[in-house]
Amino acid sequence: MSLLEVTGLKKTYKTRFGGNSVEALKNVNFTVEKGEYVAIMGESGSGKTTLLNILAALDKATSGTVVLDGMDLGKIKDSKMAMFRRDNMGYVFQDFNLLDTFTLEDNIYLPLVLAGKKHEEMKDRLEKIAGPLGITDLLKKYPYEVSGGQKQRAAVARALITSPRIILADEPTGALDSKSSDELLDLFSKVNKMGQTILMVTHSTKAASHASRVMFIKDGVIFHQIYKGDSTDTQMYQKISDTLTLLAQGGDLK
Amino acid sequence: MNTGLYPRIAYEGIKKNGRLYIPYFITCILMVAVFYITHFLGFSGILKDVPGGGTASGMLGLGAYIMAIFGTIFLFYTQSTLIKGRKKEFGLYSVLGMNKKNLGKIIFYETVMTWIVSLAGGLVAGIGLSKLAELGFTKMIAAPVNYDFRIYPGSVLMTILVYTGIFFLIWLNTIRQIKFSTPIELVQSEKAGEKPPRSNWFVGILGLVVLGAGYFIAIKIKQPLSALLWFFVAVILVIIGTYLILIAGSVIFCRLLQKNKKFYYKTEHFVSVSSMAYRMKRNGAGLASICILLTMILVMISSTSALFNNSEECLTARYPNEIGAFACKYGYDESLVDLSSRMDSLLKASAEEHGAEITDNKTYYVYSISGYLDNDNLQISLNSMSEMAFIDYDKVAQIQFLDMDLYNRVFGHDVQVAPGEAYVGTSSDIEIGDTITVGELTFDITGRFDELVDEIDPAAKIAVSPTVYIIVNDLEEVATHFTSYVDYDGSPMLAWFWYCRFDTGLEPEGQTALADTLSELMDKELAPLDFTNYYCDSHEAQRSDFVSTFGGLLFLGILLSLIFTVCCVLIIYYKQISEGFEDKSRFGIMQKVGMTRKDIKKSINSQMLTVFLIPIVFACVHLAVVLPIVHKLLMLFGLFDVPLLIKTACLCAAVCLLFYGTVYKITSNAYYKIVS
Repeated sequence: MSLLEVTGLKKTYKTRFGGNSVEALKNVNFTVEKGEYVAIMGESGSGKTTLLNILAALDKATSGTVVLDGMDLGKIKDSKMAMFRRDNMGYVFQDFNLLDTFTLEDNIYLPLVLAGKKHEEMKDRLEKIAGPLGITDLLKKYPYEVSGGQKQRAAVARALITSPRIILADEPTGALDSKSSDELLDLFSKVNKMGQTILMVTHSTKAASHASRVMFIKDGVIFHQIYKGDSTDTQMYQKISDTLTLLAQGGDLK
Repeated sequence: MNTGLYPRIAYEGIKKNGRLYIPYFITCILMVAVFYITHFLGFSGILKDVPGGGTASGMLGLGAYIMAIFGTIFLFYTQSTLIKGRKKEFGLYSVLGMNKKNLGKIIFYETVMTWIVSLAGGLVAGIGLSKLAELGFTKMIAAPVNYDFRIYPGSVLMTILVYTGIFFLIWLNTIRQIKFSTPIELVQSEKAGEKPPRSNWFVGILGLVVLGAGYFIAIKIKQPLSALLWFFVAVILVIIGTYLILIAGSVIFCRLLQKNKKFYYKTEHFVSVSSMAYRMKRNGAGLASICILLTMILVMISSTSALFNNSEECLTARYPNEIGAFACKYGYDESLVDLSSRMDSLLKASAEEHGAEITDNKTYYVYSISGYLDNDNLQISLNSMSEMAFIDYDKVAQIQFLDMDLYNRVFGHDVQVAPGEAYVGTSSDIEIGDTITVGELTFDITGRFDELVDEIDPAAKIAVSPTVYIIVNDLEEVATHFTSYVDYDGSPMLAWFWYCRFDTGLEPEGQTALADTLSELMDKELAPLDFTNYYCDSHEAQRSDFVSTFGGLLFLGILLSLIFTVCCVLIIYYKQISEGFEDKSRFGIMQKVGMTRKDIKKSINSQMLTVFLIPIVFACVHLAVVLPIVHKLLMLFGLFDVPLLIKTACLCAAVCLLFYGTVYKITSNAYYKIVS
């Protein structure tokens, strides 16, 4: 059984007074295996953020099912949703979403504190991940005192600390300069090698080229996907940009 | 550009931000109304005819300007939160091509609209409420009710002037905020992270020291007269201390809580403690204001209602008998002894006229002189008073000499003192050695009997300065020693006091009539003799006077408390609303990270409870500490019932807590609605 199974997912937005409706997702089907590193690519308005929000249970699908490790997201009660998200998913946002009232350390602890964990346990968990993420020296600082890249690494630590089944990342490099982007992508690869499943939404070819599989979404459907296989990042980059060119020219890959 | 554009943009801006602007308008209206009412009561002279009204209107006149300063600070505070939420909008306008001048115009129209609404609403509310206040006041003191609407133009004019000034300042301040930022800074101002405050130990400790000094004064003061002087010093110290402690100390406190890992890393404390630490610096001032207002409310209500409840006891203490008369003349005069027996015959004449049977008659005279207690063994130097630049009122005392034979005859005792010896009683606990020196006369003390104060003059206990009674062998002989002492203006310091009190067995009307007759007779007898002061009162006639004085004070206390309460509620509400908007995105993030609605509610409750308990706890501590000094002050009005004062204070605190809790509940709901 796959870790994540998405079947017949559909999302229709209605304008406020019920007039026109827009189909953001038409019929999305895919699965993600445990330990995979999947990137979803698409242009603005292609529905990729909508997809991610539904996967993260931040939004509800019009129809279709999302099953994470045997649990149907649609069947989880609203009141339990936040708890489910906290225990099973780690979310990395484009704009970090760190709380400026907390130090980086406390920001990272937040999901654990919400889960009612003991301080000693939180500390142990943080020590394990702080080294690889290179944030050990930054823990006592406040978000306004560190750079964007450092903030994003703290955000990754916050996503990782609950040992989630899957990490969902929404344009994680979107607000970073190229050096910080590279560092973050290397970090994702490293985390993935340790066995962490990652699903990332991006429109950066470079970001996607790190993934083991890239899915292309266009007009609300999964249009195409390519596997990295044994190719290097550079070869993958080439493959992706070829596909994007074809997509842009309106080519039909089916 | 179309000239109607700016007013329209301003109007739309206010309309769209109604949730923030409506409380702001209400605040402004109430501030204006409060200013008008206090100014009206203080300056229009409607309190002139009320007993004690002179003092009250003086205090209210001062209060009006304190309210104006308070209002300015408060409106600045609320306005800056308002404008913070609108900077993005202004940024957008400037990106779209408006320059600073155009923005200034929009802000100008907005301020003008606020100004019109506030002044119009505030004056209407103020005039309406002032009539209500006046009606309540006259009812309380049982004066004739007058249903005419009274508008005092001076107050209206002053209100308009003061608030136009305040709104002008607010406008300038807003312009300043917009002027020094680029369009992009304005657009992003909402996202700009704020530096979390560091704990400032120096200010925190300074606050403790200042508050401690204020407390020390409040506890230390023993005498009512010095209480009056030091009370204001104590109040100012306590206010400054409260502000410093809540601004710096609260940050330190939160940081300490954060250091306690077991406490801090709990779901219900984690978010609330950190966000409190983060915003305490800014909100400390708000909390301190709430705390000061609460303290003022508590002190005012508990002291005035204690006075009101105590008026009967106070009356009995001052007028233990049905009729009391008193006369006073400065200087020594041998003929005064004869006068005393003539007064006795006046008394008998008036009693006969009204068919009264005189019982419990206490008629006697003393020679009195004021002195300065130099040291513990009660040296009294008579010259020093006028020479001293600063008078320590704790050391001022009144000495009253009584004749041994007279005392024994009137009060039925058998006290024997030889010449050069004295029998002493004091109205408060003054330490006295074996001898007592008054001027150049020294007496050996052969006996001390403080209860004699109750016999001679029960009112001495509630007098502002202590009285020392000295019973001597020959009063006339002693009095001649003091004839040469004069005051700084040349008038003699020695005074002859004649006291007379008795029961009549008559109905209240008869008592009053008898007092009037005696009064007239005294007038005929004493006026030609150059008497400074004489009067005759009946217990009954005094009762209505007492009730109206204390009732009036209580009413003023209630009125001012209501006004302060409204201010307090508004500050709390405003704080909640503005913080709610600030916290909205924060709780959004937390929900994404996995915080449930239940967690949010819990965290909000924990935060609110702490933040809201701080002012009330501080206020109650303040109240407890200032109670002794308040008691000393109330002694000037004749209250000396300590248990009553404590009981009233506790009751007031309980009522206040209940009310405060309700406000807390309502505002926390408003806050919760915003963040979720």
